[in-house]
Amino acid sequence: MSYPVYDIRSLKHTYNNRTVLDIAHLSIQKSSIIGLVGPNGSGKSTLLRILGLIENPTEGTIRFNGYQVEPFSSKARFLVTLLPQEPFLMKRSIYNNVSYGLKLRGNVNDIPSRVKESLFTVGLSYEKYAQRPWYALSGGEMQRVALASRLILKPQVLLLDEPTANVDAHSELLIKETSLSTRKTSGTTLVIASHDMQWLYEICDKVLHLFQGKIYESGQETFIYGPWQQMGDRKWGKELSDGQILYVTEPPRKDAIAVIKALPITESIVDVRKKAADLHGTISRLSLEKNSGRVFMTVLVGDLRLTMKLPFQNNYSDVFPGKKISIRYRLDLLNWI
Amino acid sequence: MKRLLLTIILVICIIPTVGIAQKKQLMMATTTSTDNTGLLDYLIPKFKETTGIDLRWTATGTGKAIKMGENCDVDVLMVHAPASEKKFVNNGFGTDRREIMYNDFVIIGPANDPSGIKGKSIKEALQFIKAKKGVFVSRGDNSGTHKKEISLWKSSYLPVPEKEKWYIQTGQGMLATINVATERNGYSMSDRGTYIKYEANLKGNPPLKILVEGDAVLLNQYSVIAINKKHCANARYDLTRQFIEWITGAEAQKMIKDFKLLGKQLFTPNAR
Amino acid sequence: MNFLLEGFIQAFHLLIMGDAETYSAVLVTLRISTYSIICALTAGIPIGFCLGFFNFRWKQPVRIIVDTLMSLPTVFIGLLVYSMFTYRGPMGHSGLLFTIPGIAVGQTILALPIVIGLSATSIESLDQKLRIMIISMGANRRQLFFSMLWEARHGLLASAIAAYGRVLTEVGISMMVGGNIKWHTRTITTAIALETNKGQFDMGIALGLVLLIIAFCVNLSVSFLRRRY
Repeated sequence: MSYPVYDIRSLKHTYNNRTVLDIAHLSIQKSSIIGLVGPNGSGKSTLLRILGLIENPTEGTIRFNGYQVEPFSSKARFLVTLLPQEPFLMKRSIYNNVSYGLKLRGNVNDIPSRVKESLFTVGLSYEKYAQRPWYALSGGEMQRVALASRLILKPQVLLLDEPTANVDAHSELLIKETSLSTRKTSGTTLVIASHDMQWLYEICDKVLHLFQGKIYESGQETFIYGPWQQMGDRKWGKELSDGQILYVTEPPRKDAIAVIKALPITESIVDVRKKAADLHGTISRLSLEKNSGRVFMTVLVGDLRLTMKLPFQNNYSDVFPGKKISIRYRLDLLNWI
Repeated sequence: MKRLLLTIILVICIIPTVGIAQKKQLMMATTTSTDNTGLLDYLIPKFKETTGIDLRWTATGTGKAIKMGENCDVDVLMVHAPASEKKFVNNGFGTDRREIMYNDFVIIGPANDPSGIKGKSIKEALQFIKAKKGVFVSRGDNSGTHKKEISLWKSSYLPVPEKEKWYIQTGQGMLATINVATERNGYSMSDRGTYIKYEANLKGNPPLKILVEGDAVLLNQYSVIAINKKHCANARYDLTRQFIEWITGAEAQKMIKDFKLLGKQLFTPNAR
Repeated sequence: MNFLLEGFIQAFHLLIMGDAETYSAVLVTLRISTYSIICALTAGIPIGFCLGFFNFRWKQPVRIIVDTLMSLPTVFIGLLVYSMFTYRGPMGHSGLLFTIPGIAVGQTILALPIVIGLSATSIESLDQKLRIMIISMGANRRQLFFSMLWEARHGLLASAIAAYGRVLTEVGISMMVGGNIKWHTRTITTAIALETNKGQFDMGIALGLVLLIIAFCVNLSVSFLRRRY
């Protein structure tokens, strides 16, 4: 029987009396690529640190390949590695930074050529970079070295926290490519937190939305913030930047957040169900979801970005970025959090 | 570079253990004024040569030296405070007290002698200084010398000039006190030994000269006392006896007499 | 002021002519300070590391106590150690009074708070990201400890230098516990005190300069270490 790489139950993590994570069940299969999105403060980094066995959750069990683990567990520490968001290196030469993990494991055969290979993978020349001290690099170069020092370990699980957030364009490309190729060559499981939703939908088997510590799957929902105003009798809504009104049901609190699932409508459907609301917007992006082959569409409505899946079609020529389109959402399916 | 450093550190730590082999060791407490004359540096090596005993000494104030004897931290005392010494022996802390040498105290002052004390008796000299409010620099540190000076004021029927403006207490050793007196162009009381050293330092022509000397009450008697083995089980009494025998013997007494600075004899041996 | 210039000239004279008393004092000084700094670092760095690394209930009070102990006057320590080693004292039979190891004990007490306090500070000022990085590379607790220690090496070296400077130049302990015995426990600092007391200021200055030269040489060799690593 093959265990999932991660099997997490009843995970709760509090910090300063605040609940940062509240996940009933999370399971990650071997060699899968999982995306993690969510606004800042939603708990992405904390979740990654817990998966990386750097922090111990306040409550809950983590099973790694079937074994129950915690920080420093021998069953996991050589198999999982986390690349944090901010580029950071230890106070030693690049060579010593990259070879550090190998030395920890006592895996000291032929280190120079492995370091050379690793640096090559992230686009850095061994001759130019190996003996440089840690302070002589740009932010992007630092992050690439940090990635190289983890890839050289051939980990079973690679956790990336906003890997391209603080780097230059060239580094961004390299980092993206390299991370993916580890999956191809070594079957590494990847968990990637990023704001780049487009990229995640392209490469991930599953994208998890993290919001205020809870996980929402699928990604067809859009989270919309208030403030909400009463727009006449039993009608509530929010005015968008282009003058349109986004109608909602009565919010439970002033600061409640609306979760809506939107669908595009075509002219051929005339739907006059009272419990729906229409919005007009412009298509800003299209991308292909990996496993299902479905097309993902992002529509700009005023200052809102709504993401949704298109139904299967033979011909997608009627959708393209820049096209004006109408979308509809059902008020009775609207959730509040 | 790293190797060199490491070797240096190791050498420094190891070398010393060489000297520890010495078993015949004696510890003596004496006073700073005795040590400062250089007599011990001249005398003691001969003792080691003759008997093979390594006599080491620490120099502090009289009070502390006697206290160290009481605390059993040393084996023998060489001090010059007869009253305190007798009390020490009476209390059972010391035995075998033997006088070994004496020098005297002198009153020194500026050559022009503003208070006009030259050649007078000690009683008159102090009275003149008080009357004329001449600057007088005292050790003020409760040492044997200081206690002697206090007793001189008392025996001259004068109150100790503690709070007087012309009376300066340095709280320091003899040479330092003489230097202050020199700076202030004042009078002071010193043991002859330190004065001769001071004279030698200034190449024979010091600003302060000896103005009053010879009074019987100015005598400064040095003695050695063994620490009582009954009081201190760790006292190396046998070795101490050898030392006392030696320093009161003919050879050492002659060496004491021959000890000169600037051609002048510092101490007069008087062991019996 | 003349003795200042005299002192300079005499300092070189003493060193170059190989004056036996001076060299004896130099050796004694170096031995005592080496013993005490090695003891203080061996004990102090791990304690300082724990103080800086862990969070526990008594952390703040302990920190305050350590910082206060940095201001212990040397004569006070000297008195304490003397009362321990005097024959009548609790460790009277150790035979450590008037010896070099005895002085080293006192100087270790002097140096320890400095090493602990400054080590703790240098551990605390390590970036939080460091801990995350080291653990994410698969370190166990022991490897984490030593890697963080190495990363803090510049701060730890600074604490060692500060402690060494304090120990090299103290008089109170050497005088009280050592007894300033010529050839045996006379250090440069106690020799300076002696010469000054005798009124021989130029000799005092000369010895002070000798001490400075030693301190300079020590720091010069340390700076090689600093740069290479």
